[in-house]
Amino acid sequence: MKWATRPGVHVDRAACAWLIRRFVDPDAEFVFPADPATIPPGATPFDMRGTPLGHHQGRCSFETALEAFGLDADPALEEIGHIVHEADLADERYDAPAAVGLDVLIRGLTLTSDSDHDTLAVTGRLFDGLYEHTRRQLITGRPPA
Amino acid sequence: MGMSQAEDWVLLAYRLPRVPSTPRSAVWRKLKRLGVAQLGDGLVALPADPRTREQLEWVAEEVTDHGGEATLWLGRPLDANTRSAVVSRMTAAVAAEYDAVAAEAAAVRTADAAARRRAVARLRRELHRIAARDFFTCPQRETARDAVEYLAAADTAGAHT
Repeated sequence: MKWATRPGVHVDRAACAWLIRRFVDPDAEFVFPADPATIPPGATPFDMRGTPLGHHQGRCSFETALEAFGLDADPALEEIGHIVHEADLADERYDAPAAVGLDVLIRGLTLTSDSDHDTLAVTGRLFDGLYEHTRRQLITGRPPA
Repeated sequence: MGMSQAEDWVLLAYRLPRVPSTPRSAVWRKLKRLGVAQLGDGLVALPADPRTREQLEWVAEEVTDHGGEATLWLGRPLDANTRSAVVSRMTAAVAAEYDAVAAEAAAVRTADAAARRRAVARLRRELHRIAARDFFTCPQRETARDAVEYLAAADTAGAHT
């Protein structure tokens, strides 16, 4: 399937793309139209204004996507949702100290990436690691050593 | 960006129903946290960069989600005086916030170690919040940060000797 989001991906779009590829559509193809009017036909938009997979009810797009894809029962994904929320919105709704570091790392990454595909290749690995770390921490109650 | 170039601002023009008042105040709180300059009734602005554009886009989405109307614009003032008046207003607002942090840091200098540590943690967080809306690197930032780090240094130095 085709998925569309704005270019210059940052934390919320990177997290959504990871979620889509890992849990929803392993063959996902991402496109980055600058203008919502130029979303290719058949592509599902995310983290774009005026679309269902965006910010709604005070939630970031990743949190909206978790619910839309029926993935909100996974506590590790819920926790990552809090981190992405704070990295993106910093409204202090959640206690997510990892958010500050994640925001800085992805911003720095986009400054040195050749393309959004290049960024997503790295952020995909980052979120794989964050998911594994969060999952183990939830099982043992302690951060994995 | 840079001072020599004409610098764009991102503007949000919005209108929300007066009732219910909860979405209105939620939107206003959000805009205040972002550090917007209020240019008129339902018209706010931030210096444009990809981050501020996105921030105001999502506030616009919230406005329309609550049955309001919102449009986003890029623009710049036609004369330098308008710009400097807006910038001074924004700078004065964050300067007052920095001053309050510096005053609090000074006030707990003579408190006990536990109270000082708590104050350091709280004031550092507060400085991060303020810095996020300090678009013009207001000089009070350094003063406030020094006041807080002075408190922290006094305590950690004590712990090691």
